Amino acid sequence: MTVPDRFTCEEVFRRLGDYLDHALSPEELRLVREHLEICSMCASEYRFESSLMDGIRAKVQQTGMPADLLQRITSLLRTEDEAGEE
Amino acid sequence: MEPSRPPSFESLLGEILSRAYSMACSLTGNRSDAEDLLQDAALRAFRAFDTFTPGTNFKAWFFKILTNCHFERHRRSGSRPETVDLDDASDLYLYQRTAEAGLHQGCDDPASLVMSKMTAEQVMSAIAALPEEFRVVATLHFADDMTYQEVAEVLGCPVGTVRSRLHRSRKMLQKCLWSIAEKSGIVGELTARRVPA
Repeated sequence: MTVPDRFTCEEVFRRLGDYLDHALSPEELRLVREHLEICSMCASEYRFESSLMDGIRAKVQQTGMPADLLQRITSLLRTEDEAGEE
Repeated sequence: MEPSRPPSFESLLGEILSRAYSMACSLTGNRSDAEDLLQDAALRAFRAFDTFTPGTNFKAWFFKILTNCHFERHRRSGSRPETVDLDDASDLYLYQRTAEAGLHQGCDDPASLVMSKMTAEQVMSAIAALPEEFRVVATLHFADDMTYQEVAEVLGCPVGTVRSRLHRSRKMLQKCLWSIAEKSGIVGELTARRVPA
């Protein structure tokens, strides 16, 4: 597949998800970056999506596990282990 | 010198439990069901621990069991009602809605503004409202920063399937989040506060 010299807005738009997920080839990555440097509309959309995904990730990962969860699970496993030995 | 003993199941689980809990919360949509799911998965993994090869990726192995447990529980409980019609979610859904609501005016980071108002519970419930196959992919991606390849390995499906599901789930998730933000008054609060043009 030949790679063009530059990407259009549509070509960047189609790759935005993969760009956010760091799943582009090095050449595509370069072309998307170059486009985002010169196209304020695409750059604005990218910044929004990137910030949104970071926000979702942060909320999901800050769910705050109950302090005693490991202890409760360990106790459950110990009971299972003892039952298996009987 | 004696060879060192491989780590115990408990110690391996302890290292990944926090991430596994986040994942269970997103899959089930609430903390209570998440704990039940996690306990089920831990018990099943403990019983099958002799099939785990020491030195390989315990997290991927455990997440596979967790996901399978979730699928089984979901099947047993029947299908869950969906609160949002997710089919017509467009690309950049939230970008467009926030722009229409005037939230881009005088704000450098409108996405962050909306997300700062949302609770972890609201985000969990948005992910939990996604159709099953999209929810699982989104959960693995968001709860554990997994790459397409890692998600594909856990789910045993092609990387291309992960990519397309993740792209669709992103759109659907934006629609869910906006719906929650509207219903909970977040949009109204932010709109009332915005700086006039």
